[in-house]
Amino acid sequence: MTRGDADSSRARVGPVAPVLELHGVRAGYGQIEVLHGVDLSVAAGEVLALFGPNGAGKTTTLGVCSGQIRPSAGSVRLMGTMVNGARPHALARAGVCLIPEGRGIFPNLTVRENLRMATYSGVAYARVEERAFEQFPRLAERRTQLAGTLSGGEQQMLAISRGLATDPALLLLDELSMGLAPMIVAELYERVGEMAAAGLSILIVEQFAQSVLGVADRAAVMLGGRVQQVGEPESIAAALGGAYLDGH
Amino acid sequence: MSPNASDAVGRAERRDTAADVPRRRRTPVPVRQAVVLSGLAVGAVVVSAASWAGTPVTVGNVGGMVVVGLSLGAIYAVSASGLVVVYTTTGVFNFAQGAVGMYWAFVYWELRVNRGWPAPVALALVVLVLAPLGGVLLDRAVMRRLRNLPLVLQLMVTVGLMVAFMGIAATQWQGDRGRTVLPFFGHTGSFEVIGVTVTWHRLITILVAAAIALLLRLLLFRARLGVAMRAVVDSRSLAALNGANGEAVSATAWAIGSSLAAVAGILIAPESQLVVDVLTLVVIDAFAAAAVGRMRSLPWTFAGALLLGVGQQFIRRFLSFDDGFANMHEALPTILLFVVVILLPQAQLRARGVSAQLARRTLRLTDVKESTVGVAALFMLVLAWTGGTLPFTDAWSSVGINRGVTMMVTAIIMLSLVPLTGWAGQVSFAPLAFAGVGAVIFAKITGDTGSAYGLVLAAALTAPVGALMALPAVRLQGLYLALASMAFARGFELLFFTQTAVIDPNRGGRQFAPLSIGGWELTGTGRGYLLALTVVFGAMVTGLVALRRSRWGRRWVAMKDSEAAAATLGINVIETKVAVFVLSAAMAGFGGALFGLQVGTLNVLQFELLVGLPIVLLLVVGGVSLPAAALFGGVNTVLFIVIKDRWDYSWLSALEVLGPGIMAVVMVLNPAGAVAEIGRGFARFLPWRADARAAYAAEVAANREPEPGELGLSRPFTAADMVATERALSVANELARPGHDGAAAAMTVERPAP
Ligand SMILES: Nc1ncnc2c1ncn2[C@@H]1O[C@H](COP(=O)(O)OP(=O)(O)O)[C@@H](O)[C@H]1O
Ligand SMILES: [Mg+2]
Repeated sequence: MTRGDADSSRARVGPVAPVLELHGVRAGYGQIEVLHGVDLSVAAGEVLALFGPNGAGKTTTLGVCSGQIRPSAGSVRLMGTMVNGARPHALARAGVCLIPEGRGIFPNLTVRENLRMATYSGVAYARVEERAFEQFPRLAERRTQLAGTLSGGEQQMLAISRGLATDPALLLLDELSMGLAPMIVAELYERVGEMAAAGLSILIVEQFAQSVLGVADRAAVMLGGRVQQVGEPESIAAALGGAYLDGH
Repeated sequence: MSPNASDAVGRAERRDTAADVPRRRRTPVPVRQAVVLSGLAVGAVVVSAASWAGTPVTVGNVGGMVVVGLSLGAIYAVSASGLVVVYTTTGVFNFAQGAVGMYWAFVYWELRVNRGWPAPVALALVVLVLAPLGGVLLDRAVMRRLRNLPLVLQLMVTVGLMVAFMGIAATQWQGDRGRTVLPFFGHTGSFEVIGVTVTWHRLITILVAAAIALLLRLLLFRARLGVAMRAVVDSRSLAALNGANGEAVSATAWAIGSSLAAVAGILIAPESQLVVDVLTLVVIDAFAAAAVGRMRSLPWTFAGALLLGVGQQFIRRFLSFDDGFANMHEALPTILLFVVVILLPQAQLRARGVSAQLARRTLRLTDVKESTVGVAALFMLVLAWTGGTLPFTDAWSSVGINRGVTMMVTAIIMLSLVPLTGWAGQVSFAPLAFAGVGAVIFAKITGDTGSAYGLVLAAALTAPVGALMALPAVRLQGLYLALASMAFARGFELLFFTQTAVIDPNRGGRQFAPLSIGGWELTGTGRGYLLALTVVFGAMVTGLVALRRSRWGRRWVAMKDSEAAAATLGINVIETKVAVFVLSAAMAGFGGALFGLQVGTLNVLQFELLVGLPIVLLLVVGGVSLPAAALFGGVNTVLFIVIKDRWDYSWLSALEVLGPGIMAVVMVLNPAGAVAEIGRGFARFLPWRADARAAYAAEVAANREPEPGELGLSRPFTAADMVATERALSVANELARPGHDGAAAAMTVERPAP
C-alpha cells in the first residue's frame, strides 16, 4: 500500500470516515490474549488521549494500529480501509507514524542518519531535516553525533521529529513522557500541540493524564485490555485520579 | 548480584520490542582489540625467532611476501566482509559463506572453461546475477525462518547448508578431474616493480578488494539502503516503523553476501585448487578475519584479513617448521580465530525472539525403565539381524557386520554431544577431534595387546583434553563457542594428528589387536564386536537417561536456559560447564577408541573437521537433546552409505554429505527433531502412556473443524467456531460483520471495491 492509496481512499470515503477505527479488536502474544475486544476511533484532525495503568494493553493497541501485531479478531480501519494484517512498513508508508515506547531512535546511527530513515515515508530528506531542526534547534547542533550519545530528552526529540516532519496521516505517540524531566515533556507536547492545531490526527498514549490535558480533544481509559470509558479529557482525568493515580 | 543479573536478562530479551539501550562501551573496544593484536604480534615474533629458516631478507623476498600476502588477504577480506554484512543486518552467521563461494567458483569454471564463455560475460553473470539471486533465494527459503529458532539450530542449519553446498558441488562436478581456472591474463601476465614480480591477477585481486571496501563504505554510509541496513541492526521493528521493509533489507544483505562470496571464490580458485573441500576451507579461513572485526566492523575485518594473508606468506617464506608442523601456514587462520574469539570482548549476542522461547514445547523425559526396555529391544533386533533371521538381511556378510559396527560407533560418538549440546547448550563441532584423541591413546597404550583397560584409559585420558577446550571456552556462548570449537577441531587436524609421534603415516598394517575381554576375542569387524557395541551403546543411553534426571542433568539444562539465572540459583557455572565438556570428551574418546578397533589403522583423514560435521548434523536432525537421536543419526549415516552402495547412480555420489546437509537445512521446518516427532507418533501405542493418548486426542479435537450440526446443540458457539464457519462458507470479507465479536474473519488487507 502506498501513500497515494491511503489518500485516495480518504477522498472516496469522504470526511465522515474516522482516520483510525478499531472494532472489537482482539490481539495478544502467542497464546496469551491481551486485548479482549477494543473499540476506538480517532476522527480527522482529532487528538485522542488513551490512558491506562501499566499492562493495560495500550502499547499492544498501538502495535495493532501500526501493523506490528496482527489482530486475531476484529477490524482495524485506516481512513475507511481495512488494514488487518498489513505489514508495519507498508502502514508507515501509508502515513501511520508510531513513535514507540522508550527511545524510538537508532543509537548507532547519527542524528542525520536517523532523520534519513524518516524519508522512507516519502518525504524528501531536505524537508525532513529542515522541519526537524526548525522544531528542535538543539538537534541541528548535534547532527553528526551518534544518536545513542544524545541525552534522553534529545533522543525523544529526535524520535518524535520523525512524526512531526513527515506529515503523517496519523501520529501514534507511546508514553512520550516516560523517564523525562517535566520541562522537556512540556516542550515536547508544545510541539505536538502545534501540530495538532495544524490539523494532524493524533493518538496519544500516556499513563498520567496531566501532561496532555492541554492537547487532547477527547480521552479514553483502557483497563485490562478493553476501553472502559471515553469522554472529555478533564472529566476522564478526574476519574482517573480515583482509579489508579495518587494525586498526579 | 541476583536482581541485576536477572534484570539484564530481561532487558536483553526485550531488546527488540522495548527501547534500545544505547551502547556506550564504544571506545574501549578498539583499544582492547589493539592490545590483543599486539600481544599476538609479540607471540608471533617469538615463534618466528625460534623457527627462522634463514631465507635472506631481500627486497625481492619481502616484496613478494607482501604482494602475494596482500592478494590472499584481499580475498579473505572480500569473503569476510560478506559474512559481516549479512551477520550484522540479519543476525545470522552464515557458516555456508565459504561453501557458497566455492559453489560459484565452480559455476564460473563451468561457464568460463567448460563452455568457453568470455571471462567478462561469465563473471558478470555469476557475480552480478546468479550469486545475488541465489542469496535472495536462500533468504526466502531458509534464512528468514531461522530468526525465531534457538541459536543451536540457527548454527546447525547454516552448517547444514555448507555441507549441502559441498554435496551439491561434488554431485554436479564429479571427481577431481584436475579442473583449473586460469588467473586473469594468464600465468605469465605480470610486471615488475623494484625487482618484485606482480602478476596481473594479484594486482586485480587487490584492486577488487579495495573497490569493494570503498563501495561497501559508500553503500553503508551514503545510500539510504545502507543506512537502513545499519538501522536494522539497531532495531528491526523501529526500522519497519520508519517504513523500511526489513525483509527487503535482509534480502539485499544476502544478495550482497552471496555476491561477495562468489567474488572471493572466483579470485581464489586460480591460486588454490578447484576442489570442493580445499576451496571451502580456504574461504572458511575468512572467519578469522571477521572475528578480528568482532563480526561487525568492516575496517577491522579488512585489517584482520590482510594480516592473515601476509602472515601466511611470511610463514611460508621465512620460517621452517618440523614435519609435524608443516601445515603451520595453513593453520594460521585457525590459530588466529581461536585466539581472537577467546580474547576479544564479544559483541553482545542478539536476543532471540521471546515468543519462540515461550512457545517452545517441553519434551517429556524418558525414564530409566522405558529406556531399558528400548535398549533390550534394540539388542534383540541386532541379535536377530546378525543371526540372519530377519528375512531381508544377508547380514552375516562381513560387509553388513561392518556397517552395523559403523552405525554403533558413530552413534556412540554422537552420544557425546547429547549432554554437551543437547542439555547444556554448548555447541561443539569438535567431537571427532576428541574421538581421534581417544583412538590415538588407545592405540598407544594397549592397542597391540587388546586389553580392554585401554578403552577405559582412552576415555579417562581424553577427558582432560575436553577440559583444555572448556577452560578458554567457559566465557564463550553460542556463535563464538561454535567458532572456537571449529577452530579447535581444525587445529587438531592440522597440527596434532599430523605429528609422527601421534599418528605415524608410514606405519601400515593393523595398529589394534583384537579386543580380549574375559577370554573372548573380539575383532573390530566381527559379529561379537557388534553385539558388544550394542550392549555398550545401550548402557550409555540408559546411563544418560539416568544422568538427565540427576542433579547434574538439571544443572546443565538450567545453564542452557540462562547462565545468569543459573548463577543466581547458586550453580557454579564454570564447574558445571567444564564438567559437561569433560564428560563429553571422555565419551567421544571412548567412541574413538572403539572406532580405532574397527578400522585397524589410523590416519589423519579420519578425524578431519569436515568429516565430523555430518555426524554433528545428523544427531541434531534427530533431536540433539535425546539419546535416542544418536541411534537415529547412526542409522542414517549407514543408510546413506547403503543407498549409495546399492544404487550406483552418479547423482548419489556425494550422498553422505548431501544427505545430512539437506536434512539439517530442512530442520527449519521441524525444529523439534525427527526422533521427538517419531516418539510422539508412537508413544500413544505404548500401553503405559495414557498421557500420550490424551494429548493425541486433544490435538485431534483441536484440529477438527466444527461440524455445523453439533454446534449450538451439544456445544456452545465460540468466536473460533464463528471464524471457522464463515471461512468454510467463504463469506466474503466485505460481508463479514466487523462489529460482531470475533466474527470478522478478515485477516488480510482488504480494499474497497473500485
Ligand atoms: N512481547 C510480549 N510477550 C508477551 N506478553 C507481552 C509482551 N508485551 C507485553 N505483554 C503483556 O501484555 C500486556 C499488556 O502490555 P502492554 O500493551 O505493553 O501494556 P501497557 O503499554 O498498557 O503498559 C501485559 O500484561 C504484558 O505483560
Ligand atoms: Mg506501554
